Amino acid sequence: MNDLIHFTLNGEKVTSDRSANERLLDVLREDFKLTGVKCGCKEGECGACSVLLDGVLANSCMVAMGSIEGSEVVTIEGYSETKRFQALSDAYAQTSAVQCGFCIPGMVLACEALLAKNPNPTDAEIRKGISGNLCRCTGYNAIVEAVKIAAREGKGLW
Amino acid sequence: MVAFSNGYLVDNLTEALKIRSEFEVTPYAGGTDLMVEAKDDAVYLFLNKIPELRRIYSDDEYIRIGAACTYTEIFENTLTPQILKDSIDYLAAPAIRNMGTAGGNICNASPKADTALIFYVADAKLRICSASGERILPIEDFYVGRGKTVLQRDELLVEILVPKFGLEHYYYKKVGARQALAISRVAFAGLFSTENGIITRFAMAFGSVADTILRFRDLEALFVGKTMTEAKSLRDDLIAKYDQAIVPIRGRVSADYRKSVCMNLLEDFLNQNGI
Amino acid sequence: MQSISKSIPKRDHFPKISGRAKYVDDLQIEGLLHGKILRSSVACAEINEILIPDLPNGYFVIDKNDVPGVNSVHVVDDDTPVFSDGTVNYVGEAILMVAGRDLKVVNQILKQIKVIYHEKQPVLDMMKSDTIFYQYGYTKGDWESAFRDADKIIEEDFQTGYQEHVYMEVQGMIGSYENGKAIIRGTMQCPYYVHTAVKRAMGFESDKVQVIQEEMGGAFGGKEDYPSILGCQVAVAAYKTGKPVKVILDRNEDITCSPKRHPAKMHYRAAIKNGEVTGIDADVVYDCGAFTTLSPVVLQRGLICATGVYDFKNLRVRGKAVKTNTVPNGAFRGFGGPQTFFSIEMFMDHLAKEIGLDSVRLKERMVVKQGDDSATSGKYHFHVPFPAMIEKLDQISGFRKKRETFRHQTGRYRSGIGISLVYHGCGFTGSGERDLIKGVVKVVKNTDDTVELLTAGTDMGQGLKTVFAKIASDTLGIPLEQVIVQNPDTDRVPNSGPTAASRSLMVVGKLLQRAAEKLKQDWKPGEYQEVVEKYVHPDFMIPWDLSKFQGDPYPDYSWSANAVEVKVDTLTATTEIVGAWGVYDVGTPIDMAIIIGQMQGGFLQGIGYGSMELLGVNEKGVIRNNSFSDYIIPTSMDVPNLVTEVVENTYDNGPFGGKGAGELPAVGGAPAFVEAMENALGVNLHHTPFSQEDAMKVLEALKK
Repeated sequence: MNDLIHFTLNGEKVTSDRSANERLLDVLREDFKLTGVKCGCKEGECGACSVLLDGVLANSCMVAMGSIEGSEVVTIEGYSETKRFQALSDAYAQTSAVQCGFCIPGMVLACEALLAKNPNPTDAEIRKGISGNLCRCTGYNAIVEAVKIAAREGKGLW
Repeated sequence: MVAFSNGYLVDNLTEALKIRSEFEVTPYAGGTDLMVEAKDDAVYLFLNKIPELRRIYSDDEYIRIGAACTYTEIFENTLTPQILKDSIDYLAAPAIRNMGTAGGNICNASPKADTALIFYVADAKLRICSASGERILPIEDFYVGRGKTVLQRDELLVEILVPKFGLEHYYYKKVGARQALAISRVAFAGLFSTENGIITRFAMAFGSVADTILRFRDLEALFVGKTMTEAKSLRDDLIAKYDQAIVPIRGRVSADYRKSVCMNLLEDFLNQNGI
Repeated sequence: MQSISKSIPKRDHFPKISGRAKYVDDLQIEGLLHGKILRSSVACAEINEILIPDLPNGYFVIDKNDVPGVNSVHVVDDDTPVFSDGTVNYVGEAILMVAGRDLKVVNQILKQIKVIYHEKQPVLDMMKSDTIFYQYGYTKGDWESAFRDADKIIEEDFQTGYQEHVYMEVQGMIGSYENGKAIIRGTMQCPYYVHTAVKRAMGFESDKVQVIQEEMGGAFGGKEDYPSILGCQVAVAAYKTGKPVKVILDRNEDITCSPKRHPAKMHYRAAIKNGEVTGIDADVVYDCGAFTTLSPVVLQRGLICATGVYDFKNLRVRGKAVKTNTVPNGAFRGFGGPQTFFSIEMFMDHLAKEIGLDSVRLKERMVVKQGDDSATSGKYHFHVPFPAMIEKLDQISGFRKKRETFRHQTGRYRSGIGISLVYHGCGFTGSGERDLIKGVVKVVKNTDDTVELLTAGTDMGQGLKTVFAKIASDTLGIPLEQVIVQNPDTDRVPNSGPTAASRSLMVVGKLLQRAAEKLKQDWKPGEYQEVVEKYVHPDFMIPWDLSKFQGDPYPDYSWSANAVEVKVDTLTATTEIVGAWGVYDVGTPIDMAIIIGQMQGGFLQGIGYGSMELLGVNEKGVIRNNSFSDYIIPTSMDVPNLVTEVVENTYDNGPFGGKGAGELPAVGGAPAFVEAMENALGVNLHHTPFSQEDAMKVLEALKK
């Protein structure tokens, strides 16, 4: 009998009986129905499947289940319950940064990972922070602007 | 030890080596290359929770980087030489830097590996262990060809030993198709030091050009021990020799493009150092 | 700024940003089967035999023999099969589908199926094709005399490459079959296109096909025709299996078999007399790929745009769209315009050099104005604000001064700045709005006085739901919250036409405004009311005659002036985009932030088209780079802050003065970028994308 995989998902302790070689992305979407985690490429090149893994940004398509034993995973569904999310969401709304929306859950988590490390990022730092998250709609301006607004109006949250 | 379906998770090196000697497993150190071609029948040995593989420390001679240290961890460590930081700074993107590891970058044995280029030019050594012992070998001896290394099926790469000295005066340039999420099309790293007007260190490595990273020690030797004046007089000869030695292969970009960039950067490296 | 231009939070903002919005792959459906399509691995062949292994219980193979109606997908013409009819015409053509409960098993079965091909020599070079799908041409003035009397004739060839849409959400569709009715849901721009196609393939009456658009993760034209193909395939699969069948393409599969921007080769001639351009002769070839899909209309728009925004008195334009054994190309933001606009903009630069002028001077001198005849002998009926736009562009970019500074540079880094002037004709090309689409909208007032807008318009991220709601709310004088806009379902909405051709706001939005005005006049609180509004063709238009290729192809045009500044590293030939500026006239912006977002996103797609987005087909007809690591689009670090401004030039026939906006920004990026490269490198350039490698070739040649 094989061991189950234990991890914390959006604050709750959970287990998975999936193979250790399966993608975290597939397990989140199929078993936990966390469909805010999007699949764009399955090769770590677009960031749509971004999650926070032990507090840092990760492409869930590039994470094998066996590697997350004991880890903490946060998806957009969990993150969207936080005040920090609210600040980012308000800022994105101000700049109409959500177009098709497919990159956005991952993008927002990339912004969170950035602001958590650097609460007052420059334009260049923001662009670097979100550089693994492709967006085909916006040309990125509105997102960069939103991060600056969130950093300003959400002062103290990060 | 935890035995999952299709995977083992261990928390110490001894146990990892034991599993490696007993089972057919693929070492998993970050997954950012492995998972691109994820195979249904792959059995992984997860290395990310082994403390011995996640340390960065220094001894008299070397900065020792655990093979399962992520790029981000290496980048943020104060011991890490700047040339290595530069190569990590523009490697892929944050999420990949958070998961991918130096050991994985080396063992994947791609000539495009960003950090492996730095380990090459820096004369880094690899500490490789198995249940029955260990060996230390120069990184150049580790590669046999594209995707091929001398790592035996019971061995693990444990540490990368980067010489502490002589890395201050460096030249590094990665050329990709874009500024982030870029696979290098040509990468160049050079080291140069002088003492009392004599060249003491002269090294160049070329990535993404051939099946393995290229370094020509016999050509480097032409400059080491020479005065700057002597080096200047040898400059044209050296360039001609490199021009002959570098034979790029065609990939996503043409061999001609790769060659032009290599030669331009080589000349710029010489110019920057007053040769 | 008019009050309607003031931005509001987008209607779909929260569901999308919180991850709650359901895209087609997110739907949880009971008893769902997964379908995967077996695709041709060769470019041109007859299929001799298909060897299928024994299938486990509950697994199905679906092919042409299972199509209950006609095995063809209606797009403009009907040549695209639902499943291969026994031949394959490009790598990636659908042969059959395997469907079953477990996707892994489906994939295993797929691997075991062997197709025995009788291969033929594929035609991969559009110039060697002898199958002309469509050809058109037109003349204006006396082009023959212009060339006969010229002091000098300049001839050049131009070439533009493929462009892949890279919508972040791949193509995907779910088909089900219940009580004699085919229900299709998925990611699509045009529910009624899918409806018409499925009806025909299934042989069903209209009321036996229902098409529902789910949340859409980007499209850019890429989900205009392809969903009709996939829609037919899942409909047939559901019909055969009796279960809902979902097909979501893999990214590699999507890049391999979904439509792209047509590659084009263009030959231009110019007659020069006394330092003036007196005539243009353009000969254009568009590569359709293996089937016709949307190519006739793409070529039409390309030819209409062939002489750009300039008032040439004498011209001849000819073009053909030809078949090759490659993936069928289709709609992509700009729809045939970016190819010829690239050529004419570059050609104007080169002609200016011949004449001894800076290209911007020549362009300014020749740019059209209100009242001028258009290339197709129609008219520019309304104000063309180019002089003001060019001034504004200079103010924000400083291009006039930079152009001078960047001449004759030496040293490692070389700067350059390029300018492009372009338009996009608003609405369906030619008489399509009047003769083919005949759009209808319905506005319903419920007894609680909420108002629902029923159109077939889809929101792919461009903000359609938000701007439609604003138009209705402002017209009716009711709060936004009282206006309902949902994703279309053909059982509920009338056919207001496709969401394409920059027509939604100008045409459908106008219908909604008129319906709302009527409702307002007749408003009866607490009562259920319906208003239906039908398209009325603007009476000022000079009738379009396709056989002569003459008349007004569009009621009005949106205009843009673009500048891109680059810095080239001569050691590596890598190029940094230092600045990018755009000035746009899209009429009155119905929501400023939405318009600016459209302009910036489109601009970057245009810059990508001009620079890094290279897609190659090898000698066997296989797309070499069908992955995200190989098909490169700009990241956030590849582009500076995009400076985009609008000039307000209200269009009286659009709602609140608005006109087409979505496609315009994608047209001018490539020529501005490549002209900047010309400026930096000091040579004439003729193709896009102009890559690092291309720049290195120029630099190496200059060394010699």
